[in-house]
Order: sequence, then C-alpha cells, then structure tokens
Amino acid sequence: MGRTVLIVDDHAGFRRLARRMLEADGYAVVGEAADGRSALAAARELRPDLVLLDVQLPDIDGFRVTEALVSAGEGPAIVLTSTRDEADYARRVERSDARGFVAKSELSGDAIASLLR
Amino acid sequence: MHTRAHDSPGLIGAEHSVARSLAYGERPDDVYPRVLAAIGEALGWLLGSVWEADRARSPSIVCVASWQAPGVEATDFREITESIRLGPGEGLPGRVWSSGEPAWIDDVTTDPNFPRAAAAKRAGLHAAVAFPIRSRDRILGAIEFFSEEHREPDERALETMASFGAQIGQFVERRRAEEAVREAGELKRAMLDAALDCIITIDHRGRVIDFNPAAQATFGYGVAEVAGREMAELVVPPSLRDRHRAGLARCVAAGGTGDLLDRRIEITGMRADGSEFPVELTITRIDVPGPPKFTGYLRDITDRLAAEAELKASRARIVSAGDEERRRIERDLHDGAQQRLVAATLGLRLARRKLEQDGDEGLRLLDEAIDDVVGATNELRELARGIHPSVLTEGGLGPALDSLVSGCPVAAELIAAPEDRLAQGVESAAYFTVAEALTNVVRYAEASLATVSAVVSDGVLAIEVTDDGCGGADPAAGSGLRGLADRLAALEGTLAVQSPAGAGTTLRARIPCA
Repeated sequence: MGRTVLIVDDHAGFRRLARRMLEADGYAVVGEAADGRSALAAARELRPDLVLLDVQLPDIDGFRVTEALVSAGEGPAIVLTSTRDEADYARRVERSDARGFVAKSELSGDAIASLLR
Repeated sequence: MHTRAHDSPGLIGAEHSVARSLAYGERPDDVYPRVLAAIGEALGWLLGSVWEADRARSPSIVCVASWQAPGVEATDFREITESIRLGPGEGLPGRVWSSGEPAWIDDVTTDPNFPRAAAAKRAGLHAAVAFPIRSRDRILGAIEFFSEEHREPDERALETMASFGAQIGQFVERRRAEEAVREAGELKRAMLDAALDCIITIDHRGRVIDFNPAAQATFGYGVAEVAGREMAELVVPPSLRDRHRAGLARCVAAGGTGDLLDRRIEITGMRADGSEFPVELTITRIDVPGPPKFTGYLRDITDRLAAEAELKASRARIVSAGDEERRRIERDLHDGAQQRLVAATLGLRLARRKLEQDGDEGLRLLDEAIDDVVGATNELRELARGIHPSVLTEGGLGPALDSLVSGCPVAAELIAAPEDRLAQGVESAAYFTVAEALTNVVRYAEASLATVSAVVSDGVLAIEVTDDGCGGADPAAGSGLRGLADRLAALEGTLAVQSPAGAGTTLRARIPCA
C-alpha cells in the first residue's frame, strides 16, 4: 500500500499537526488543500495514494469531494475526518466510497492503517 | 247672586265641542287649549287650566295649559297657576288627583285647602270646579275652571265633566302610547344608521328590504340602487351566487330555519365595483308575521385576517430566528473551541511520541493532559448537540431520534420514525419535543422503559413518547413543556400530556407537515 498523502482541511493548524503526525509514522505528505475545489485539482496533479479529507469544508463538503474523486476513475484511498463524531453523520460515511472515518483527535498513522487493511 | 250652570244646550254643545277636539287633535298639547275653550265657553266659566301629574318629579302636579275667556283680566292669577307645583291632595287639582273624584268649591277665597286664595281674591274669582283626567288604570291629571260668581254644584254638570275626564284621559293615553312606539322606532332606526356593522335585511325571495349606511359605505351602493333588488346580485361574488340562492331557498322551504342561521361564517363579499373581500357574516331570521325575512350582519375582516397572518408569520420568524441562532452557535463551537482542542490533542500525542524515548514521568503527565483534552472535547460535543444536533441536519429525524434514544439513561425504544425528510422547522420541533420528553422521563418518572414513535399520516407528524413510570405530571408546571407548546403552536401544532397518577405518562405532539 502506497504512502503518499494529500491533506485536505480548512484549518492550517490541523494540517500542520496532521502532517507531523503522519510523517512521524512514515507517510510522505505530498500536498495540502484548504477547500474542496483545490483538493480536486491537487489530487489530479499530485496523484496521492491517500487523501485525508475533512468533511466540513467551506465550499463543498467532503462527501461530494469523495464522489468526485472516485468517479474520476482510479483514485486515491480516502479517509474522512472531522471534529464531529462519525455518529453525527448518520450513515453517510458507510454509504460513501471512503475507506472509513477517523476523528481528528484520534488521528495517527495506526488509525489510518487499520482502515486501509 | 247664583247662577245655575245646567243649561242642557250648553252641556250638549260642550260635549260636541270636546268630542270634535279629541277626534281631530294630534297631540295633547294641541288639544288641551281647545278642550278648555270648548268647555269654558259652553258652560260660562272665566278661566280654566289643565294639570298633569309630573312624571319626572313625582309626586306633584303642574299646570300644562290654561285658558281665559275673552275680555277677562287675570294675569296675576294665571302666572301663579302656571308656576306653582302642588302635591297629592294639595289645592284643588291636588285633591282631585288624589281622590279621583270631581270637586266643586263654592268660594275658593275662603276654602282651607286653596294655596292660590289670595291671588284668586285679587282676580275676583270665587266658584271653582275640577275633575280628574283618568286613563284606564290611573289619574293622569286634572282640569279646573273658575268663575266670578258663586255657583251651586250641579250634578248633571259634574257627571258630564267626569265623562270629559275619561274621554280626555283615553285620548292622552293613546297618544302617549303612539309616541312611545314612534320614539322606539326612531331609536332603532338611529341605531341601525349609526351601526358600524353592515346590516342588510332581505325578504324570502332574497330582495333587499333594508341596507344600512354602513352597508352602503362598505359595499359602495346608494340606498336608491339597492331597494327591491336581489341581494345576491349586489353583494355576493358571481361564483357563490347559485350556492347562496340554493341555501336561501332551502331555508325558506324549511320554514325559516337552517344551519346557516345564527352562526359566524367567514365568506367572501363583493363590492359594487366587482372587487371581492373577506367578510364575517351572521344571519338571523327576524320575527315578523308572514313569509320569513332575514337580517345579515356583516363585517369586513380584511384587516383582521391580515393581522392574524402577520401574527402567525411573526411567530414563525421568532422560532426560526431561534433555530438560526442555535445553528450559528453550534458552528461557532465547532470552528472555535473544538478545533483548538483537537489541535491540542494531536499536539499532545505527538509530544508523547517524542517523550517515549525520554521519561516515564513526562509520559504520565502527558497521558493525563490528553485525557483532559479528550474529555473537554466530548463535553463540548455534547453541548453542541444539545444546542443543535448536527445529526438532525445531516440525517433527519430517524437517526436523530435514534441517537436520543440510545443516549437515554433510562431504557428507551424507537418504535417508528419517518423515512423521508421534513421541513427544517418541523424536524427541529419534533426532535426537541422528544428530547424534552425523555429528559422529563429521566428526571421525574421513575420509569423502567420509555417508547418513542414519530409517524407521518394525512399531512400531520404525530409524535408519541410514553413511559411506564409513576405518572402525575402537570403539563402546565414546567417551563420546558410550555416553551415546547409555544414552538409547536407557531407551527400550528399541538401538545397534549396524559399522566394519571400511578399509571405512566404519555406525551403526544401533532405538527402539520404537508
């Protein structure tokens, strides 16, 4: 399983810490995006193995970005994240094409790896 | 010198004159002087006056008309007569009024009960006669006459005068009754004219008999334009005319009764220019002999309906402003404090990794810090959910009620929830109703099981929360339930609580959601 990651979140502080966390666990963070549209552009350009994708984005939500990334063909693995609980999204995470969900405060390389297995 | 006043021609002449005066007289005030002249001249008296019992300031009797024969000079005596007020039994008119019998005084100047004696003496008046004016059941007043000479009482004259008293009394009574009827009629006409409501009266064929000024102004017709015309053509919109005519025909066929009578109805009226407007109408049958006649009382309720619509809109705005506010707070919580805490958690985990190599103490402290932060994050999340649950916005009522039920400390079951999404305000109200109901179950009911159901049918969302606890809940007592009732009322919904003591509690809310 590849280890390049695109981090998508509108809070710069979280992107910084997530980068450090993932790099400490051996991932290579190849890019960051702060909203849905630039996320799609960055994914097209950088072709990461994995996208860590916040649901609450300012322009289009993470679920729509997931759809767009998956429909574009052979796309990255997507892990959704949020300050909210997975339960707050009813069953939308399950119904989406993301591999799974990690609460932001639980983020670590192991948590992601367990979703990708 | 004495004169007998019993000339038959004089009395018969007087009888004729009195009868004629009463037959052609309009009002008592017109008739009194004529009657006094008729009797006085026929019987040779010099002065006469009519006295009426004063209805305004009883009990007293006052002079209302007087006469003197041509050539007689008695100004002083007339002035006193016209200004004096006598009580029952007082003076000549007073005694006749009280006794109800005619009286004859030989010489008023020496009579012990004649207050005007001095003036009479100065005028040279001595003999006097008086008889009562009597109606069917009471004495209305008295008529008196005076003369210079001393006269002997004359039985025939007294009988005749008593009969005059009865005739005049009947006349006065009849005229007063007619006056009362006319005044009542004028009063009612004045009431109709002044009424702010439109009052329209029709006959059994639906033709206008009366159309008061308010109706003329409201509908835009002059009186001449409406008399005798069919009311349906004048004030009923074309689309409703046939129904109106059929209703009237049914009512008349049923003898003037029907379920349209005597209730407030909201319908549409039409002005002379064809424009239509909402009216409140009450129709009654009026009680007169013959075929039925109906009166309609109408009021233009355009303003009232507009005010009601504005009130409803303003309540809805208030509730939705509240909901907006809560969504904003939840977003602020999410974007603000929660983000910081998330960042702090990640930072602490990272720091822990670094320290793993360095020291146990440091690791322990960090673990505690991480627990604190995770705890704060969870608390904030719960707070945000209480203010506005994001699961409700994201997933709708089903998942949101599910989360309430599973988070409830007392065992609770969700029996039914709507599949489809409903309007935001409806879903919010339903969610908070169940949340409040479950809070009360946990706090007061001492229950072992609660059940929740939310079902949409016929355009109404029906919510029911029941528990098997101790009952006895008072829906008026808690401000939580009152606030809920207000929020539901703003959506035209209702809230009802049944809580017999010892038998559990059922809360039912109904919200229109078509």
